[in-house]
Amino acid sequence: MKTKLYDEHIKLGAKIVDFAGWEMPISYSSLKEEILATRNSCGVFDVSHMGEFFVEGKDAVKFVDFLIPNNFNVPNGKAVYSPLLNKDGKIIDDLIAYKLSESRVMICVNASNIKKDWDWIYSIHEEENFDCTIVDRSEDFSLLAIQGPKSEEILKDVLDDFSKMNYYEVLENNDFIIARTGYTGEDGFEVFGNHEFIVNLWQKLMKANVLPCGLGARDTLRVEVCYPLYGHELNEELSPLDCALKWTIKSESKYVGQKALESYKSLHKLIKLSLDKGIPREGYKILSQGEVVGEVTSGTMSPNLGKGIAIGRVLREKTEGVKQYDIEIRGKTYEANYHTKPFIIGGHK
Amino acid sequence: MATKIPENLKYTKEHEWGLVEGNTLTVGITDFAQSSLGDIVFVELPEIGSELKKDDPFGVVESIKSVSDLYSPVAGKIIEINESISDAPEKINEAAYESWLIKIEMSDSKDADSLLGAADYKSLCE
Repeated sequence: MKTKLYDEHIKLGAKIVDFAGWEMPISYSSLKEEILATRNSCGVFDVSHMGEFFVEGKDAVKFVDFLIPNNFNVPNGKAVYSPLLNKDGKIIDDLIAYKLSESRVMICVNASNIKKDWDWIYSIHEEENFDCTIVDRSEDFSLLAIQGPKSEEILKDVLDDFSKMNYYEVLENNDFIIARTGYTGEDGFEVFGNHEFIVNLWQKLMKANVLPCGLGARDTLRVEVCYPLYGHELNEELSPLDCALKWTIKSESKYVGQKALESYKSLHKLIKLSLDKGIPREGYKILSQGEVVGEVTSGTMSPNLGKGIAIGRVLREKTEGVKQYDIEIRGKTYEANYHTKPFIIGGHK
Repeated sequence: MATKIPENLKYTKEHEWGLVEGNTLTVGITDFAQSSLGDIVFVELPEIGSELKKDDPFGVVESIKSVSDLYSPVAGKIIEINESISDAPEKINEAAYESWLIKIEMSDSKDADSLLGAADYKSLCE
């Protein structure tokens, strides 16, 4: 599959890779430049492959509040990040739910999980008695993420209809939905619109000299701020308690997976490591005192820090209080630095 | 931008270049390789004195997002490594043919004859 911006990417000389069946730009000019531009100025990402579901009706908010463990009993115009759980309390996906009005919610899900998520949400909707409809509108929407400290300034110029908003707020206009959300840790916006609107917006951003950035930059940026990615830090074998997502379990009412979570004993945790020499990669072993205690779930070179960084999953029982770890790379072990905070604290507002 | 393929060098299918001087082969990665990899951020080289068979992995080149093995174009012994590249791997992006990685003393200098010439390598990059 291709997003409606595919031809634009080709014109810009993007390297294209397959991502969950989508032919997506991994990088345009230089991955490093794209990463630095987003941290220091502004970059734009085509993330139209992501899924959009709409929940509408009297019970729309109640239904979403039941569907996710995070609290969705929030004011209009708020966005909420949450994992989506099955009845065993395990993670089906992670998502952002946007409360557009009392009777209208948009849920944005990972491209690789659209069908699985839809089937699950559909089955919950069938099972329960909420007065609302659900519809998968993924094919109707394109989506751009404009990220970086200069995003607001640039969007003000480029969009005819731009009002001030705070972090994790959302606004639905006539032509588009805009939210101050993202996956880079920086200030930034995500703009959902029909294909024509988004292609047009992309072209305006190119004229404004905003650097197009690919999935490669997006991935490194999110590892730098330690945001989890489904299929890496999150999967259906794990609960939010295994993945540093305890903070998302805030619902004040009943939700899917609640019973299982109440008695769940977490065996794993995520840790943050960096290396002064070498670059940790997904699947590399993590050791403590010579014993393998886990593995790297995401690893990359961080151009902002000038060293290799990793998120890793380790066994709790082997690592209680442990701060000294080694990472094995091609048969050799390298001493890792242990981080209690994300590698980079993004400038999101 | 057209890929640079100097006429005086030998090449491998793994996108390495080799400069033959007597029975010494100086090895690096080609302009095509550096351009496909993107920003190179890490290079791991073997110890001096290591013995290699043809096609043995002898090191890695890493970009921000990828790890690529390096393979020995010939059999022989490592007699020199370019340590300055480990400190500044981005030099490979800037000038691939000036950024040699290792020098191999070939067990049999005739092995170099089996490497690709510039014209054959060029067709591989198209």
